[in-house]
This record gives sequence, structure tokens and C-alpha cells, in this order.
Amino acid sequence: MTLLQCLEQADYHTLAIDDLQQCSFPQLLEAAQQLRFKHVAVKQQAIAISYTNLVQFCTEILAFDGWCSQLYLLPDNSVALPADVIQLSDIDAQPRQNSGTARLSEHAATQWFMATSGTTGTPKWIAHSFDSLTRAVKLKPQSHTLRWALCYQPTRFAGLQVVLQSLLSGGTLVDCSAGDAELRVKRMHDNNVNAVSATPSLWRQLLMTGQLNMLALKQITLGGEIADQAILDALSKQFPHARLLHIYASTEAGAGFAVADKTAGFPAKWLQTGHSSLRFKIDNKQHLWLKPPHQPDCKLADRLDNDGFLDTEDLVEVSEERVHFLGRASGVINVGGNKVHPEQVEHVLLQHPAVVQARVYAKNSSVLGQLVAADVQVETGIDSKALKLQLVQHCMRHLARYQVPTQLNFVKTLATNASGKLSRNIQDISQHE
Amino acid sequence: MNIEQTIRDSLEQVALMANCQLIANINEDTVLLQSGLDSLGFAMLVAQLEEDLGVDPFSQMQIAVYPRTFGEFVSIYRQALQGG
Repeated sequence: MTLLQCLEQADYHTLAIDDLQQCSFPQLLEAAQQLRFKHVAVKQQAIAISYTNLVQFCTEILAFDGWCSQLYLLPDNSVALPADVIQLSDIDAQPRQNSGTARLSEHAATQWFMATSGTTGTPKWIAHSFDSLTRAVKLKPQSHTLRWALCYQPTRFAGLQVVLQSLLSGGTLVDCSAGDAELRVKRMHDNNVNAVSATPSLWRQLLMTGQLNMLALKQITLGGEIADQAILDALSKQFPHARLLHIYASTEAGAGFAVADKTAGFPAKWLQTGHSSLRFKIDNKQHLWLKPPHQPDCKLADRLDNDGFLDTEDLVEVSEERVHFLGRASGVINVGGNKVHPEQVEHVLLQHPAVVQARVYAKNSSVLGQLVAADVQVETGIDSKALKLQLVQHCMRHLARYQVPTQLNFVKTLATNASGKLSRNIQDISQHE
Repeated sequence: MNIEQTIRDSLEQVALMANCQLIANINEDTVLLQSGLDSLGFAMLVAQLEEDLGVDPFSQMQIAVYPRTFGEFVSIYRQALQGG
């Protein structure tokens, strides 16, 4: 079924969106049908949409899922589109098609595309099906009473999950994706939000406002980063009766799952039993592999092993009957949900004339999950204290703030592996901690 | 050891590194998120204090509430150091 068909069948009469503009489910469905009439020409074409507001975005995904062959969700930063993809904003300028020739019957399933940050630093498009995107959606009897705060951009995996969860369960969406923590909590409070999905880092900031207890939260979801026990404990103490879920989503494997027992990691017994139609295994390099129940998209298909598993490229360890996440095998650093490629930071450090060699890696942070740390080997005879500040300022000029090393260690030599490359082996890195 | 002074010194140092402009006269009622330090600066402060004081009260947090003000932040470190 398509998104539109799902909602037509559900026949909700509640408010779908409570934002600058209010919009009920019947209004949303009507607007989506009209949009299809307006864009008969793009039927079975590949189109790209971006986000300006919730009503517009939800109308577009409802109209174009099951209508276009491919639906690209353009994130706010500019990511290059394949040549055959038309941007919806460009189509608006074209003459309107004669709606008399419109046939509103739906065709093949739409492929959804979302941009991900690849290990090389170049974003790549990953295809999803409507089925795979909605697998984690939970329909509970009281779901339609939930008022969801949208805290992420809906063109990203985590944000889209919130949008789809709310739409498919008859809940109400409130855009809380802008502003600082206090502003967001105020917006949640003013709009009677009772369900929030956010990164652990954002949850810590929301807790620091001291005002989160004003909210009557029924549903708490954590995603986008590894959820540690401290944040789960803090939230379950403050909201003992709320349903508390932490979500693991692998864009690489196009699959994910939720953990509901208020404990970090996931139960090790799932490695034997599987969970929510997924099978799990861990290889000898500590990578987590997932076997999704559906055939993944063709780009992923050649990465399947003989048993149909996909490498998530996430490192895990098993201790005390739990599987705990350690980070990305590629060394990509997750600073409060922002991905940092160590190679890019190393490249910038090496541009400084005093730097001979540099290695950038993740340092665990109880506030933002991970921070960027760097070991640098510099020319001898330089005042290291002055150089440290110089290097930070140099990085500030060439990198986003979250990419700048927060810790710089001057070292005599840096370990290289057998092929002469800097080692990103987790054991080598942990020696620095 | 004066814990508050150590925290103030680290705060200045981190603000310089993180390129954050701290507000003048930070006192115990100053709201941390309005001190001029953003979430990255705050994360750096906690990391720096782990080196300076040897504790990170947020990593194994037993406290029920997150600090809102500078005073609450200092008191969490005081408790963590006395407890440990």
C-alpha cells in the first residue's frame, strides 16, 4: 500500500498537523489529491522535494508516494541530484497539465531516496521502500492521542520516521526543529506535545533547561546516536510512566529496530532469536550484521553475504547479556548527531605548515556522545601552547565548529599500519584514552 | 582545592578554544545554556574537567536532575568529588 492508501483506509478525523497552519487528516488527503492533479506530468518520473513547512512536506510525500517512480528528499544542505531527477520547485514554473487526461490510479511502488554521509565525505543517495521506512512504525490503541514534536529535519531518516509514525498512527505533528533548547521546550509546552523523539545529546540539553518536567510526556524516543544508560535513567526517573524507546537505525542496511526495556544496547539473546523480523550476527571484527526481511535496494544487494546479511559497519561488543554499540568501524565520529569524517579534519590539520602528521579520532563524551580528538606530530622547536591555539583557529576557519578537534595532543610519532596508512584500529585508538 | 575556581578556570580556557564569548559576571544563578557556552563548549568543559578534577559526574550519572545553573553545575562536581 502507498502512504495515501494507508491514510484513506485509516480514515482518521483528528488533527494531522498543528503548526503555523493547522491541518486535519481529511484536509491533508484532499490537498494531496489536488497536488497529484496538478502534477500529472510527473507521474512515474523521478522528482525531488525539500522542506519548508510541515503541511507542504506532508502533502507532497502523500501525493508523490505511489505517484512518482522515485522520490528524493533534499536535505537543507545542497546535495547533487542524479541527472534524471526533476526538482518539484522547478516544475511549478511549467504550464499546468490538463487535468482532464489525469488518471489517478497508482502504479508501482515509489522508491524513496535520502542522502547519507558516506565514508569518503561525499553524501550518497540511499534508496528505501515505503515498507522498509514504515517497518518501525508502531500502531497502539492510543497512538492517535500522541502529539509529536518534530525535532529533526524530516528529509533525514530520523525526522522522516517521526513524520511517518505520527501520520500513520493518526497523531498530531508539531514542528519544534528550530531554536535553542529552552525555545523548543516552550514550543512543546505551548502545543501540548506529549511525544518527543530526539538524539541523546538533544535530550541532555532539554533536561538542562530544567523545564522539561512541565511536559506530560507519554512517549520518549531516542535515536541518531548511541543512547547510554545515564540518559535513559535520567529520562525514566523524570517520566516513570512514559514509554521509553531507543532506536537503532542503519542507513547502510536500510533497517532498524527499537529497544523498549530502558537499558542501553540490546538483549544478546536477539543474536539467537532475532527481533522484529530482523536477524542479527556479529563478525570477528566486531561488526554488527543485519538480515532484513525484505530484499534491500540494488545498491545494497551486492553487499549481502551468502546468508543475506548486510554489514551495518557499526562496532559492537557483548557484555552482561547485552550487545552495546561502540561507534562506526570507519572511524566516523558522531558529535551530537553530526557526522565528522576524520580524514577531512586530518587534511585540514596537515595544511598547517607546522604539522607533520595527524590522526583524528573519537573521544567519548557524556554530553555529546563523541567529540573530535587529534594526535599531531609537529616540527620540533615550536612552542606547543601557542601552536595549539593557532591550530584550533586554523581548523575553525576551514571546518564546521563540531568538526574542530576539541582536544589536541602533541605526539612524537604516529602509528601506521602494515600498508603505511594511519591506523584507525579501535585498539590503537583506545590507547590514547 | 577550590572546585569552583578550577571550574571557572576551565570555563575560560574552553571558551577560548571553542570560540565562545562568555557573558560577564557568571554567578551561581547564571543559566548554563545562556552563559555564552553552546552545547559543544559545554561538552568540552565537561571533558576538560574530567582531566583537571578526575571525575565526570555525567558519565555515570546518579543525580536525578541535570544542572540548569552554574551553581547547580558546581554543586554536582562538589558532590561527585566528595562521594568519590
